[in-house]
Amino acid sequence: MRKRTAASYFVTLLLAVLAAVSFFPIYLAVINSFKTQGEMFSSVMALPTKLHFENYVYAFQQINLLNSVKNSVIVSVMGVGGIIFAAGLAGYKLSRTPGKLSNFIFFLFIASMLVPFHSIMISLTRVAKSLAVQGTTYGLGLIYIGLGVNMAVFLYHGFVKTIPKELEESTRIDGCGDFQTYFRIIFPLLLPISVTIGILNFLWIWNDFLLPLLMLTDVNRYTLILSTNMLFGEYNKEWSLILAALVLTAIPVVIIYSIFQRFIMEGITEGAVKG
Amino acid sequence: MHSKGYRKYLSFFAFLAPAFIIYSIFLLIPTLGGMFYSLTDWNGLNRAYDFVGLGNFVEILRDDPDFMHSLWFTLKYVVIMVVLQNVFALFLAVLIESKRRSKGFFRTIFFMPNMISLIISAFMWSFVFTQVLPQIAEKTILTFLDQGWIGDPNVSFYSIIIVSLWNGVGYMMIIYLAGLQGVPQHLQEAAIIDGANVFQRFMRVTLPMITHALTICLFLTLNGAFKVFDVVYGLTGGGPGRSTQVITLNIYEEAFSNNFRYGYASAKSIILFLFILVFTFIQISVMKRKEVES
Repeated sequence: MRKRTAASYFVTLLLAVLAAVSFFPIYLAVINSFKTQGEMFSSVMALPTKLHFENYVYAFQQINLLNSVKNSVIVSVMGVGGIIFAAGLAGYKLSRTPGKLSNFIFFLFIASMLVPFHSIMISLTRVAKSLAVQGTTYGLGLIYIGLGVNMAVFLYHGFVKTIPKELEESTRIDGCGDFQTYFRIIFPLLLPISVTIGILNFLWIWNDFLLPLLMLTDVNRYTLILSTNMLFGEYNKEWSLILAALVLTAIPVVIIYSIFQRFIMEGITEGAVKG
Repeated sequence: MHSKGYRKYLSFFAFLAPAFIIYSIFLLIPTLGGMFYSLTDWNGLNRAYDFVGLGNFVEILRDDPDFMHSLWFTLKYVVIMVVLQNVFALFLAVLIESKRRSKGFFRTIFFMPNMISLIISAFMWSFVFTQVLPQIAEKTILTFLDQGWIGDPNVSFYSIIIVSLWNGVGYMMIIYLAGLQGVPQHLQEAAIIDGANVFQRFMRVTLPMITHALTICLFLTLNGAFKVFDVVYGLTGGGPGRSTQVITLNIYEEAFSNNFRYGYASAKSIILFLFILVFTFIQISVMKRKEVES
């Protein structure tokens, strides 16, 4: 028994060391974001002697924080909302309609999950340009719906099978139409999988870099990630400013994470098991 | 009766329309379009283009040393990432699973980097590589920390691996943790009574019980590694020279920043797709056989 506790202490110690190593870059970014450039060059490890909030004020302005966050929120909410709305309808109907056409469409959705984004990005920019959705915040949101809907259809399709058919039959006898049945009865029952889908897609859309880079040209429409990227390009050597911007970029994510922590963990495991 | 069937069809299409239309526009058409463009010499700007058949593919395989280099570089990255990411994630998951009280804390800490987007992670680490490590090397005896983490082609490969691992391990760890939760305690206890040591218990009891999680994590890490872009873009930009250029970056530059050879770049993107397809197929079929055995 004593041997087991010794081993247990060792495991805790090992985890603590690894955790410290893992957290180290974040810690460094935070402490150095409060220093002047000179302070940083004399010692990156030392704690700041005085908190220099100027870096934050400057970064806040340079990445146009409020506007960037607004753009990111619009794109994410639109993308996630659209995916849940459209994929829920389709996944439900495909799951409940046996037949060749239904199978074929479902197959199309699943097969496209294997296509990497980089293989379609070139002609996607063409499609976006010819439909005049390139360069707009809403256009970007729309594209995310198109790219994310296949995986969501797949997840809904599987989940619907766990809902007994008798529920819909009884509402139909009560005189509800198809859409009424879906929105009143089925959609609320899909909530667990909707949360999973919502979280996975939110994390993806919020943190995505390449698609906004290809689609957006107007600085006023930049998402948070894109604004930070631009700042990094322009102020390459001004580390205190850049670090402040990086910390600012990470803050919304940390807030969301602390609120939804349980759901994020469940979402990842659920999504993985079903996917 | 007739009208009922008609209404059924109508309802079917009404339910499918939103998803299918938007999917067709932004995913299906671009996929087919990419396949078509890969057979042309289109430059993305002109209306006119010629059909060149498999000409692009022949050129890529015959005289595009940059692409070949990026292909080898990516394959090297894929192999190392798939192995390390899964080994680390599983290792952490097993350690954390044994802790009752501090489980939540460690899970959060190791997952945290995954919340930070890849490109931001790359910027954060480029600070560590260019500012922090050289300064530590200067002030302590850990002189080996002063490397050309970003500037030296031989070292920057490992920098890319470090950042990718730092960001990605937490996600896989969560999936493994969920898998470990499904391993019944009594099996472990029985193995202890039988005199199995820690390593034997892991190989004989734990691992066979979590093959499903292993399949998923291998699939995710394999797919993700082939598509690596953000970390390389943010950390080295593919340099120095083209030494750390991965396939996705090669395609991106071919199409959008260097030559505007859309047709040619599309052919490259088809090759990337085929690689992912073949590797995924092999991985899934091998793992499926393993799952049946256990």
